Amino acid sequence: MTDGNNDHILRSKEISFIFDGVSVTGHDGETVAAALLRGGITHLRNAPNSGTPRGMFCIMGACQECVIEIDGRKVEACRTTISEGLVIRRVPDV
Amino acid sequence: MFDAIVIGAGPAGANAAIILSENGLKTALIDEQRDAGGQVWRVKSKSILKAPITEAVEQGDALRDRLKSSNVTAKFNCRVWHIERQENGHWQLSVVGDSEKKLTTKALIIATGAQERVIPVPGWTLPGVFGLAGATALFKEHMMAPMRRTIVAGNGPLLFYVASETLRLGGRVSAVISLNSRMDWLKSLPAMLSNPALIGQGLKWIFTLYKNRIPIYWQHAIKAVEGENTVDGVTICKVDQDWAPVAGTDQYIHGENLCYGQGLMPAVEATRLAGADHHYDEKLGGWVPTIDQWGRTSMSGLYACGDNAGIYGALAAPIRGSLAAEAVCEDAGINLKKRVDSKKLKAAKNFGLAATALTIPRSGLEALITDETEVCRCEGIIRQEIDFEIKTGAQSPNAIKSGTRCGMGPCGGRYCMEAIALITQHRTRKTREEIGLPTARPPLRPVTIDDISDDLDYDDLPIPGVSPL
Amino acid sequence: MMPIFDIAIIGGGIMGCGAALRLADGGMRPIILEQGDIGQGASGVNAGTLSMQIKRVKLMPYAIRGHEEWQHMGDAVGFHKTGGYTLAFNDREAELLHDRMSMKKEAGANISFVSPKQLNEFEPHLAGKVIAASYCPDDGYANSSLTGQYYRKKIDENGINFIEGFKVTNIRSTSEGYEIASNGRTVVASRILIACGGWSKHIAAMLGVELPIRARINTVSVTERAPRLISGVIGHATGLLTMKQKENGTILIGGGWQGKGRPEEGRGQVSVDSLVPNLQLAKFVLPALSNIRIVRSWTGFEANVPDFYPLAGALPNRDNAFILGCVRGGFTIGPYISKLMGDYILGKEPEMPLFDPARKMEEGKLI
Repeated sequence: MTDGNNDHILRSKEISFIFDGVSVTGHDGETVAAALLRGGITHLRNAPNSGTPRGMFCIMGACQECVIEIDGRKVEACRTTISEGLVIRRVPDV
Repeated sequence: MFDAIVIGAGPAGANAAIILSENGLKTALIDEQRDAGGQVWRVKSKSILKAPITEAVEQGDALRDRLKSSNVTAKFNCRVWHIERQENGHWQLSVVGDSEKKLTTKALIIATGAQERVIPVPGWTLPGVFGLAGATALFKEHMMAPMRRTIVAGNGPLLFYVASETLRLGGRVSAVISLNSRMDWLKSLPAMLSNPALIGQGLKWIFTLYKNRIPIYWQHAIKAVEGENTVDGVTICKVDQDWAPVAGTDQYIHGENLCYGQGLMPAVEATRLAGADHHYDEKLGGWVPTIDQWGRTSMSGLYACGDNAGIYGALAAPIRGSLAAEAVCEDAGINLKKRVDSKKLKAAKNFGLAATALTIPRSGLEALITDETEVCRCEGIIRQEIDFEIKTGAQSPNAIKSGTRCGMGPCGGRYCMEAIALITQHRTRKTREEIGLPTARPPLRPVTIDDISDDLDYDDLPIPGVSPL
Repeated sequence: MMPIFDIAIIGGGIMGCGAALRLADGGMRPIILEQGDIGQGASGVNAGTLSMQIKRVKLMPYAIRGHEEWQHMGDAVGFHKTGGYTLAFNDREAELLHDRMSMKKEAGANISFVSPKQLNEFEPHLAGKVIAASYCPDDGYANSSLTGQYYRKKIDENGINFIEGFKVTNIRSTSEGYEIASNGRTVVASRILIACGGWSKHIAAMLGVELPIRARINTVSVTERAPRLISGVIGHATGLLTMKQKENGTILIGGGWQGKGRPEEGRGQVSVDSLVPNLQLAKFVLPALSNIRIVRSWTGFEANVPDFYPLAGALPNRDNAFILGCVRGGFTIGPYISKLMGDYILGKEPEMPLFDPARKMEEGKLI
């Protein structure tokens, strides 16, 4: 994701969180989906049966493709906001 | 107990809620987003501290301000997962994300908006493919455009908005691939002239694309999305009048993102779960609740307004919200000063219908779904399995679902049932009305048991009589 | 009109299709009239449990034969013999479990008692609060979603006529048989078999026969895919829970908790007031469920009569009219009892006695 030449957009301070063991930075209060996209991480999990890679798709909480795991709970990356030190992991393949 | 609850805080629902509350009805407004605005006036992320004001932001902020100064009980980050009609005719909503687990109301307005139609093609499941409407959510909420090169494909006006907005936000666009021909657009112009301002906006989008030398492929479709773990590019082809692929016209276009969608469909899960009658009307975007001109459904106390009751678009939405509020007030015996300008509504509706007309699925689309294409994203069911099921006698979405698991995953069939219907239509020559939809089931969104229940002592479980010996 | 078919079967579920297959085998020409799709009613939406431990004592011989039928159908219906456990969490339930399972064992089910420690070895994810448990190695499940696919193929292969979307609006009895109408279409047959589960009362009423059927509206839920948590079919001493994890990892939760609605209105409704305790009980038994998402809940109608036994035999006061329906165990028993019913209609002596619909029904006791 890019802000391109949009210097006139002022964002909140950068914080870091952990995605599958890797530290990723994002702006405080943005969604996990936005922060991961900014960090170039699009492959969030593998589909059952076909095993094909999946990432965020509808970005409005309907398709369930961007589901991630926080504290053992499955949540949609597009509807969950990041905070400093948040630990996220990929949903393991079943 | 509320007098009225509105599900969906977009321009239709939020406006309805404000009017109801102004007329003395105890009203709640529920939305799964963190504030009102819906998709069209989606509220910015808290991470955006300052940004240029656009028209959508202004309109959204105005709505949010009106809501804040009203008496409406707003419940945001709140999801409805079940809707039940009680014996006394009241409605009970089961919700997560609120201090209450159940809410009851005398009148229920459903204003859940639209959902995207996305035709499956090989590779559409790759990370880096987003819905067109999904891309707009990124723009509006996070003021971000996809990084690296973006291909924008599908139909209708959203294509040009997404492409030009990507550029405005500093992104790069490889190409715009439009199923619609230039002629399709010319034909729709007279109806759209009812709103010169929006026509002007559309022309501005297209001008931006020309200025940036972005190639527009008219009457072309995505044939396949290429890439191993993410998108590398797309193969496109020409399509005929019916949007069927034309052999020997393949071209390859590089790009790392694909924003892809074929128009909007009414999001009818909630009205269907509530039990209202629905019918199929392609002009309105697909299946719609059967309503009167105010938005009364077939069930007393249940109303629908906004795009979920037919894709008339954002201009018509607030007016339709007013109409539904009028109906609720009238049915509650409150004399409401009529505030709907029917001329304005008609103009808005005509504009919306003209835009929707560009996205009505055509018979050739199903040919883009190849044998090996994953139709059901959740369960990984490919077209071949669906064809086989139909060939061996399954004639309805319920039967296809049972036999293949297509539509049984977490999205609840939202992203495969349109393709299933197109395939069934092609194979059986039945009408969409005859094909129907699978039975509506709760929850409206996946929920955990912890989400919907409190911890309970075992001895407090309300266990009814044991089964007979 | 002269009858074209020897028998019209109202209802294309397990009962109707099973009987049709037997009748066709015996030389009759049946036609199946189904208001929706083949196998998409209760036959296709029940929890698919094939458990001896939840079968009624008197029905045990039928259940054992039914179980054999499912085993024979095998992969085509997603049959799995996993073994199953029934659990008790307090003294009252332990006593109930002991009394009931002993009687079921007596009736021929291969049931034994296991200690909580043994249970924990086999099913380590279950709650540690179990105080008594029983086990049956024959228990398992089939995938009820595949019922329609299976029977459609079978009736097709056997050249049996069927009409889907045939919602019976009127039945006229003539000297030759029955004229069955649905929105302008009429099917004429010499005999009629009512096998449409929760709708049977409604259809029998068209023939002027009052049946003491009150529909049960059973709720079933399914989770998204989860890592392996249970291997067998799990039940509860009260019979109010069935739980199994299918091969794809989804967990199916049932137990006969009641939804709302009436068959005549066409649709059952999940009731939060019974769904939530159903799921809470499931979570109590399998604590890991707390973080696994429910993706779908639904209901299916069952034709319940006061004594909870099947209706299988001649329709009272009508010639050449029959009824076949079963509550509490219809899925397990269906493929077998439908054969018995077929034999009865063919004029043969069924292998096991049927259940006369005209019997005097004592109100069954729910403890």
